[in-house]
Amino acid sequence: PAAPLGFTDEKKNSRNTYEVSRRRSAPEHLPHGGTAPTEPAPPPQEPAERARHRGGIAGAGSSFAEFFTRNFFTKRTKELKPAVQSAPGWKLFGKVPPRENLPKDSKIIQQEYEARTGRMYKPPPPSSRRKNIEFEPLSTTALILEDRPANLPAKSVEEALRHRQEYDEMVAEAKKREIKEAHKRKKIMRERFKQEENIASAMVIWVNEILPNWEGMRATRRVRELWWQGLPPSVRGKVWSLAVGNELNITPELYEIFLSRAKERWKSFSETSSENDIEDAGASVADREASLELIKLDISRTFPSLYIFQKGGPYHDLLHSVLGAYTCYRPDVGYVQGMSFIAAVLILNLEEADAFIAFANLLNKPCQLAFFRVDHSMMLKYFAAFEVFFEENLPKLFLHFKSYSLTPDIYLIDWIFTLYSKSLPLDLACRVWDVFCRDGEEFLFRTGLGILRLYEDILLQMDFIHIAQFLTKLPEDITSEKLFSCIAAIQMQNSNKKWAQVFASLMKDNKEGDKNHSPAPKS
Amino acid sequence: FFQSSDFLFKFLVIGNAGTGKSCLLHQFIEKKFKDDSNHTIGVEFGSKIINVGGKYVKLQIWDTAGQERFRSVTRSYYRGAAGALLVYDITSRETYNALTNWLTDARMLASQNIVIILCGNKKDLDADREVTFLEASRFAQENELMFLETSALTGENVEEAFVQCARKILNKIESGELDPERMGSGIQYGDAALRQLRSPRRAQAQSAQECGC
Repeated sequence: PAAPLGFTDEKKNSRNTYEVSRRRSAPEHLPHGGTAPTEPAPPPQEPAERARHRGGIAGAGSSFAEFFTRNFFTKRTKELKPAVQSAPGWKLFGKVPPRENLPKDSKIIQQEYEARTGRMYKPPPPSSRRKNIEFEPLSTTALILEDRPANLPAKSVEEALRHRQEYDEMVAEAKKREIKEAHKRKKIMRERFKQEENIASAMVIWVNEILPNWEGMRATRRVRELWWQGLPPSVRGKVWSLAVGNELNITPELYEIFLSRAKERWKSFSETSSENDIEDAGASVADREASLELIKLDISRTFPSLYIFQKGGPYHDLLHSVLGAYTCYRPDVGYVQGMSFIAAVLILNLEEADAFIAFANLLNKPCQLAFFRVDHSMMLKYFAAFEVFFEENLPKLFLHFKSYSLTPDIYLIDWIFTLYSKSLPLDLACRVWDVFCRDGEEFLFRTGLGILRLYEDILLQMDFIHIAQFLTKLPEDITSEKLFSCIAAIQMQNSNKKWAQVFASLMKDNKEGDKNHSPAPKS
Repeated sequence: FFQSSDFLFKFLVIGNAGTGKSCLLHQFIEKKFKDDSNHTIGVEFGSKIINVGGKYVKLQIWDTAGQERFRSVTRSYYRGAAGALLVYDITSRETYNALTNWLTDARMLASQNIVIILCGNKKDLDADREVTFLEASRFAQENELMFLETSALTGENVEEAFVQCARKILNKIESGELDPERMGSGIQYGDAALRQLRSPRRAQAQSAQECGC
């Protein structure tokens, strides 16, 4: 029984996008990937509620911490509460808990011991022990048993000594790591402080000067330049909303209507599906149900490392609502994979109804409509236009790709469908969105070329499969300054024709270029 | 790292959304379960060199998006594939029912001799099973597919799926049924084979044992 993780009090804090994006860019706050958190495990005498909460956050992606807290603390505390709380002699990091030599039912001790050793500690082969000490102090805490329960043979002196030694080693390791982390954090903090000052001063300009005179100022040189630097997170949502506009005239009331329609549908869906797999009406029903199922599935797979959209997370229901309402609003488009990322980024920056309005209007732009309808021939036009500027800006790399028949669809599909929010770090993706709101679709393709330019030297050394792998999974350490200076160096001019003109002329000669070249394997 | 190879095979991973295609690929390459994976938009890639009966085969794996809507895009990636993992989820009838469609596409669009292995993934979730081993293996037999139940979580049968598929392709090359030099076979000689300039079709008398089905 997976206990709901205690996220409720995170809700208020993490509404701030900047906070969230910082978490993403500074992963030390959200340890994941299986390494043990620097924080020691919650000691067993900590109230189960808090332990669970902490485990859920700290171990967001870390299967072990999660396993530890969920399976051990939630279940075990329920079954064996008195025993766990008085467990004597189990030393974790920090202070030794006071010993209480309470008389204990030997059966409980036995059970407890078995559960601990069974669940928490499997003796590692001697060769891997060191590794465990270095990377998973959590998993070796069970070693630090000073005395065994009375019904088991006592430890020998050597064994006790060894355990003590191992424990000391672990503590020393952990300390060392903590100091290193602290230095790193300090440096990051300093940089962040500087950054925050810039953001604060920009924010004042946005709030006091630009937003009140939006229509008059949005196109001025000064505003455009400030805009390029990235929007301050506090006005980001507002500016996005204004820039995307509301051509569709969607009101919050309309959103509510589509949302309640979506809710009805979920209800009837869950009722019918629990009944049976009765051969229902036409394919459209099956299709719609499949898409409802898919939304559920994909939400759990949207920014999984943030752990806020997943079931039990603070934004899970919101994301579900926005996507559900959209499928009711635009059944002709429906839910298409990639949308969950766009909706998620909007939800991080806007209130629910505003997020929906921006979402629907954004997806109504010609480029987004072409992609989300998976209009293959239109998509090929966009790719062809991209290639015109690719050749113009990066001729060497263009030929290199050509020699492997590596077509832009291979990497652009993911980038365009999710507006880079899946492939770039979230804070960087938001800055791309900022300028995308300023410049329109052309900036999406310009960003793509900027990425290619940034990695041109590496890409020129790679063969087909490595390029494909590299571009569909970009390095995580990509920085905002570097990428944006590369984007700035990309000229969106081809023999005096701008993006829109190039695209329009491609649209005219409809016959050519309708064939996609599917590459055979390239070594 | 720069292991030279005798052959290069293009592989596809296809099947409905959420069946665990990317997780299978990740498990195969990294030997780890990816529990915080995104959904694939378009296509992602992996590559690995495996040793099959003394031959080094480099697999170039195209891991495709599962949503129906993306079919028109992913279809264009089928051409020239030598092998494919066709994945369903043993806990979802729906993903099993969709197999025929995937199969038709693969047979029609990839190379004629494409070797397909059916993978019933999420074997570890036996309690939620909606597709029995027996019926899936019958389906596999009827459609001339190899068949394994796999678990990207535990890693069970994951490597086997890729290796068995590659082995069958190698057997076909050795028996002359497949010609790597034919265009669109999805097979190329690797750098090692090119260097030695030797014919791989030196038909080996020992007819290698069939695998899987």
